[in-house]
Amino acid sequence: MTEPIKAIIVDDEAPAREVIKTYLQDFPEIQLAAECDNGFEAVKRVQQEKPHLLFLDIQMPKLTGFELLELLEDPPVVIFSTAYDQFALKAFEVSAADYLLKPYTKERFRKAVHRAMKSLGNPLTARKVARDVLQHRQEMQPYLERVVAKDEDSIFIIPVEKLYWLEAQGDYVMLHTKDGRFLKQQTMNYFENHLDPGLFVRIHRSHIVKLNIIKQLQQLGKETYRVVLQNGQHLPVSKSGRVRLKKLLGGTAR
Amino acid sequence: MSHPVLKRKENILAYFSVWAIVAVLHALILVGNQHLEWSWAVRDSLVFNTLFSAFALGIWYTCQYTSPATTPTNKILLTHVFAATLVILMWLGAGYYIMMKTLPPDHAYGQFLRTSLIWRTAVGLLLYIVMIAFYYMFIYAENLHKQELREAELQTLVKDAELRSLKFQINPHFIFNSLNSIYSLTMTAPQKAGEMTTKLSDFLRYSLTKSESQTSSLREEIRSVRTYLEIERVRFGDKIRYSENIDEACLQASVPSMLLQPLFENAIKHGVYESLEPVPISFSCSPQNDFLRIVVENTFDPEATGRKGEGIGLQNIRYRLQKLYNRTDLLDISKKDNLFRVSIKIPVEA
Repeated sequence: MTEPIKAIIVDDEAPAREVIKTYLQDFPEIQLAAECDNGFEAVKRVQQEKPHLLFLDIQMPKLTGFELLELLEDPPVVIFSTAYDQFALKAFEVSAADYLLKPYTKERFRKAVHRAMKSLGNPLTARKVARDVLQHRQEMQPYLERVVAKDEDSIFIIPVEKLYWLEAQGDYVMLHTKDGRFLKQQTMNYFENHLDPGLFVRIHRSHIVKLNIIKQLQQLGKETYRVVLQNGQHLPVSKSGRVRLKKLLGGTAR
Repeated sequence: MSHPVLKRKENILAYFSVWAIVAVLHALILVGNQHLEWSWAVRDSLVFNTLFSAFALGIWYTCQYTSPATTPTNKILLTHVFAATLVILMWLGAGYYIMMKTLPPDHAYGQFLRTSLIWRTAVGLLLYIVMIAFYYMFIYAENLHKQELREAELQTLVKDAELRSLKFQINPHFIFNSLNSIYSLTMTAPQKAGEMTTKLSDFLRYSLTKSESQTSSLREEIRSVRTYLEIERVRFGDKIRYSENIDEACLQASVPSMLLQPLFENAIKHGVYESLEPVPISFSCSPQNDFLRIVVENTFDPEATGRKGEGIGLQNIRYRLQKLYNRTDLLDISKKDNLFRVSIKIPVEA
């Protein structure tokens, strides 16, 4: 007897969960570990249960399926589902992910599960697919509206409006916000590409700052500059950062 | 463009009446100024004016094909120099020939006619210019009129299209999710799946029929909204807490069709959908002076992001009311703490 495959269903709509549960009756080797009707609970349950397989709906309150995936350090194999989200569909089409369009047939569901089971033995594949989907998803909808982050026991949804500045810290980015600091596993390049360039500017290899919190651009030496923020803090400005900043601020800052 | 003179009998009459006056003046001048005999003056005037009035009708075609709006100036000038020369030569040639043919030998008129050819050329040129001025004025007026008609037509088209595009459109997301709910019910509760299918059909039918008409009765609108909420309740269960308070007197009132739908869709999308708790949605309708007052309220989570001011649904309602009733004060939106409230006043037609 092989070990059962642990699965979790994440969908906010009861009828949709019902469909999956009914279909899963044909797969005795899959053991349903949890059913979640929202993303917060799902993050918790995934960490507890460490499932092999995740049935993930995209449109959910508070936390979308994509954001949920972003928060999972070691994502399991995911079978996505969506009714009609053009951005999601485009992302799925170009990525390696498997997805179900609601409503879907038993046959289609079976195919997806069989395919998923084949890649179960290889956790690297799952991680790669998740990264691939998220990347494409972001390309479809260029500018971020919110960022999700988590610490030991909570999930934080940070609207871009509350973001002040970002600082590179190794493999992580420190988000300095109105409500405090949050560490997020992500690259500076990602944020540089996905934050509205009309609002944020990369002033340094390791700093991105929101334009409207800059009080002053100070010249220290012949080629050295720094910005002073509204709260008095200062951040270093690189040569190329100064060029970008000048272009954005026009002639008003010196 | 048809000939401005020849196209109507009245115009032909008016045209020749003007020429008759010119002919009378012509004859009077010949008698008074040139001391010609009455009989020769009248004959001269008749022949030359009849000829010119006939040729002048032809000048129209030179103007018609050289409309100043589309023709280069030098082409217009060249056309008219050529046409004027031709018309004047033909006019004087024909007039001279006819007069000389009937003239007794050695009559004094012959001498007069020969010497008058110079000033007749000048007069001919002047008449030619007057004629083309008249024709071009006509073309200009005609174009202006056409343009006005076109603009008016365009305006109606634009307004129609605007009103059409401002109308509610069925949200594809809603359709697919409803289908998925039905699909699920076919497995768990086939009876309910049937009911849900008829509800969805009712709702879709109403939306599609009403996309053609501009108004419907409030009673119909409310029925459609209820159907919509019943469908959504299958998806969201007890998360929707709907209550209504509708004054019987309002039910017959005529309101813009599918006006309410976006309000409830918003309440679901921003209230129910983003919440993990039950969300009350209340709907009230009461007469108020010359208005029908409709209020839809729902709670929402102020922390939930993504709601940036007035969404497309509310904007469309605003524009639509503005276009239909020509006033800007009919829609009021308020957001207080966690309560979202939309209030619409609809003028009651007397």
